Amino acid sequence: MSKLIGEPVKVLQNKGSMITAFIWRKRTYRVQEIVSWWREPSDWWHGKATRLFIRVNAQNTSTGTYELYKLGEQWFLSRVLD
Amino acid sequence: MSFISLGNNGFFQESSTEVVVVGFIHLHVHSQYSFLDGASSLDNLLSTACELKMPAMALTDHNCLTGAVRFYEKAKRSGIKPIIGAEINFDRKSHLTLLCKDKEGYSNLCRLLTEAHLSNKGQAPFVSKESLSKFSGGLVVLSGCYKGELTSLVMNGRIEEARIASRYYRESFGNDFYIELSRYPCREGMSSSYALANFAKEINTPVVATNNVHYCKASEYKIKELLNAIDRNIPVSQLGGYRTVEQYLKSTKEMERLFRDIPEAIETTEEIASKCNLELNIGKLHFPRYDVPQGETDYSYLSKLAYKEVINKYGQLTANIENRLAKELTTIYKLGFCGYFLAVWDMVRWARERGIRCQARGSAVDSLVVYVLGISNVDPIKHDLLFERFMHPMRLEPPDIDLDIDRRRRNEVRDYICRKYGTENVACVGTINTYMARGAIRDVGKAMELPKEVIEEACKGIHWLSASQLLREMDSRPELKSSEVYHRPELAEFFKLCAAIDGFPKHLSVHLGGLLIGDGRLPDLVPLQRSSGGDIISQYDKDDIEKLGIVKMDLLSLPTLTVIEDTLANIKKTKGITIDLDKIDRNDPESFAMLRDGKSIGTFQLESPSQREMAGRLLPNRFDDIIVSISLVRPGPLKSNMDKDYLPRRHGKKPVLYLHPKLEDALKETLGVILYQEQVLKVAHDLAGMSYAEADGFRRAMTHDRTEAEMEKMRDSFISSAVSKGVDRKTSEKVFEQLAAFAAYGFCKAHAVAYAELAYQTLWLKCHYPAEFFAAILSNQPMGYYPSRVLIADAKRFGVKILTLDINKSLDFFTVKNGALRISLRQLKGMSEEAIKSILSEREKKQFTSLRDFILRTDVNQPIIENIIKVGGFDSFDNRENLLKQVSKLIKLRSSIGRRINPLIEDGESANPEPVATTYADTMRQMLVERDLLSLDLSAHPLDFCAIHDKFTKIRDLCLMPPGKAVNIAGSVIRYQTPPTRNGNRVVYVIMEDGTGIADVIVFSDVQEKCGQVLFREGWLSVKGKIQKRGPKAISIIAEELTPLLSEDQVVGSSIC
Repeated sequence: MSKLIGEPVKVLQNKGSMITAFIWRKRTYRVQEIVSWWREPSDWWHGKATRLFIRVNAQNTSTGTYELYKLGEQWFLSRVLD
Repeated sequence: MSFISLGNNGFFQESSTEVVVVGFIHLHVHSQYSFLDGASSLDNLLSTACELKMPAMALTDHNCLTGAVRFYEKAKRSGIKPIIGAEINFDRKSHLTLLCKDKEGYSNLCRLLTEAHLSNKGQAPFVSKESLSKFSGGLVVLSGCYKGELTSLVMNGRIEEARIASRYYRESFGNDFYIELSRYPCREGMSSSYALANFAKEINTPVVATNNVHYCKASEYKIKELLNAIDRNIPVSQLGGYRTVEQYLKSTKEMERLFRDIPEAIETTEEIASKCNLELNIGKLHFPRYDVPQGETDYSYLSKLAYKEVINKYGQLTANIENRLAKELTTIYKLGFCGYFLAVWDMVRWARERGIRCQARGSAVDSLVVYVLGISNVDPIKHDLLFERFMHPMRLEPPDIDLDIDRRRRNEVRDYICRKYGTENVACVGTINTYMARGAIRDVGKAMELPKEVIEEACKGIHWLSASQLLREMDSRPELKSSEVYHRPELAEFFKLCAAIDGFPKHLSVHLGGLLIGDGRLPDLVPLQRSSGGDIISQYDKDDIEKLGIVKMDLLSLPTLTVIEDTLANIKKTKGITIDLDKIDRNDPESFAMLRDGKSIGTFQLESPSQREMAGRLLPNRFDDIIVSISLVRPGPLKSNMDKDYLPRRHGKKPVLYLHPKLEDALKETLGVILYQEQVLKVAHDLAGMSYAEADGFRRAMTHDRTEAEMEKMRDSFISSAVSKGVDRKTSEKVFEQLAAFAAYGFCKAHAVAYAELAYQTLWLKCHYPAEFFAAILSNQPMGYYPSRVLIADAKRFGVKILTLDINKSLDFFTVKNGALRISLRQLKGMSEEAIKSILSEREKKQFTSLRDFILRTDVNQPIIENIIKVGGFDSFDNRENLLKQVSKLIKLRSSIGRRINPLIEDGESANPEPVATTYADTMRQMLVERDLLSLDLSAHPLDFCAIHDKFTKIRDLCLMPPGKAVNIAGSVIRYQTPPTRNGNRVVYVIMEDGTGIADVIVFSDVQEKCGQVLFREGWLSVKGKIQKRGPKAISIIAEELTPLLSEDQVVGSSIC
């Protein structure tokens, strides 16, 4: 099961551009593991860009699995997985 | 790994050295030759592979090897080991990847592809299980993409069926069968590849990683989707199905990362690449086998024929002729071409025996053997032609005898060849149709759902342009920068997409003339398929065929030969005269006067504006002038100002000088100017003492791209040879400079003579039998330079009366009676073959007596009947209005009572015919109908209804005006031309007609800038300019302003369309 979110988040990266955390609704989620990543085709004929997705295990009060995607320079939280 | 050397006698040989490949190898790669599926060119794929340091790469296009030869060559040049293969449709529903290990594998792949295409007429190609088992030798098989049989069974959990199916592959291919794993990261993960890997382990079959590559870079997935949408003729938004951005040429690192849990899948790619060692044995020639009579060899038989025929041609064998014949025969023998010559001779003999006009063109006409065997009509001795321009022992290329054949009967000759050499051993050469700007705009526009008007608007301003050029030059070309469609921000991405598919192959079709005759094993050498028209064609184009050494014959359909044949038949019918064109006066004053006056529309090679202008400057009065004219009016010679050297000498305005007396013999015929390629050979021979064979090598070396160092070497060699023969250094240097300048542009005289013969014949026929000639040329449209309405206008200027279409008199071609031309049934818009057959077969029994009689006796449909009425085809029965009112009722009657050969109720005598076009409005209406339905201007010309027509100078009057006189003409555009120029600046020629004549308008760059919005777009123009006379009879207009002729105050109503 997963819950669609689609809200902008701020991503924190280390010097090697690895995602170390993201901030969502003023809360910081520390990334513990990058589970997978992939690119999804877009409706490019409507001018939409390809999206890069990352699935991570991250911790705030408890650990969860989160799916983020990048659109231009902005990151979004796509969904939260149970 | 074994590397067996089979020697080099075969078509392919095994690699003599083992190529060690290390790292991941892409074994499943589609290029643009996957036709509307692969999104990258071979060059891009290979350069990316080089950047990624790939040691080898396979090419596996869908069901074809079209890109294989060029891939092989380019890969070798890039230092990448090429692996040839294909992804085939297998057993109707699945995909399979095949790779060639060796020669046997290649031959089997060719056979499989041929069978896949030819055995399944009307459906998608596929290889059957039986065929694959039969032709499995030398092939490596990968189980295929997600459309592979095993992959889809495993993915759907049908493991038991997969187990059973896998037995077939293991039995057929043993250790050369692999399970193909492709992984595309996605939200769902890559669980499918685990299932397949587990299955492979279970059936004890090795796995191999592929990426089913369709493009170089991830971002190019858009192009693939665009091409797929075009292929399926649907908008790209409706494409649906599985989508990914991952099918790009991934690096070894990326692939290793993807398969880090199955490293053996990466290692297997090296193993397979090392198994595949096909070497294309490029350069070995494959000739058709001609069966000679018992006791003869190819050489003895060819010699016998040549010596027999040479007497027939020349009456006696002089030493000169005998020596030349012997020399040619020896060369042909040494090069192993005797069988080829016999095959061509046999073909021409067969055609001529059946009255089919055919003759050689090109450098083959330089040969005495070709002449005496009757393959060409040009006497090389009389015209001083050099055999070495065609063939010599140092020129190790396939011989090339191109034949022009009567267009109507060309397929009879092709069918004869199929019968003689076996249908399986003969095929047409394929040609690859690629995208230019217009095609790209249309197809991409449709896929992107652009409004039709936008697509049409974007196509309008394009004249011989690629989509990339369009993108590059939309801000600099006058006709592009003045049009807003190319500059709309919302269309910027669209034009980029058009440029992205620039030059992409769309489909394979039939090459105009090329025919392949195998040496008994064509399907082993070349994969074959059907064209959309049903012809069997090679998947390789002519260049790749040549590289593979398969000798092709060019049987080119030449409508001029059909026109000549038809004109002679018309003359026989109307005048009862039989004309032998070989015996007509070659220097007929009337024909040349007509040519000088620019009245050569419709003639072969002499009708273009440039040729007509040249006639006005050259003032030809003998046959050799036509040879000169054909050779001069070419982009190269004009670009290098050869005409400016030659013409003053021809008219005695400049002295004929030779740089050295030794050049006189070679250049006398062209007054000291080098015009012909054969002359380059003669000069090098006479001055520098080269043999003709060496001289041809020298000419060819100078013609092709060469480095400065190579040029310098040739220069030194030529000059030192000439100096050693007693020519002073300065003169030698000057001659070399001339040769260097002219070698690339000089024209092959043999070809010019062959075409001059035909040109003169058409000129003579037009001059002496204009009605018969125009009837023939109008019956054979489309051909030549001008549309039918221009030809009809020209016929009228020659005093030929034009008779309207008549249902009781018109045939399916234009006919002549009492010097008048009757319009054919075929000329009518919408006319069908069935309708013509029905009309003619009924009329043969009895003439039609009324519209009712016609409708009840024929199958002709209502729209055609109405069109016939509108153009006056039934005028002898009643007026058009009355007739049109009756059509529906009579059609209903025919439906209810059926067709009647003899209608039960006969009509009485026909009513009085309609008095045609009595008023101004009637004439205009009639003119519009004729334009629309017959594409002809009969009753009037649209400009006759132009309110301000009188303000314009009539084109026919231009010849009366002095140079520099300001004129204003109006007319319809026949065509736009942009010939190459010496300084590279574009000059646009606009060829216009106004019903009184044809004018050539020259538009220089300043006027192009000013009138960019008009160029290439407008069909009707008014032109302000000044008369230019480049010769006594060479008239053109230098444009100062072009404006569209469409405003209401200029044209009455909408008569101009």
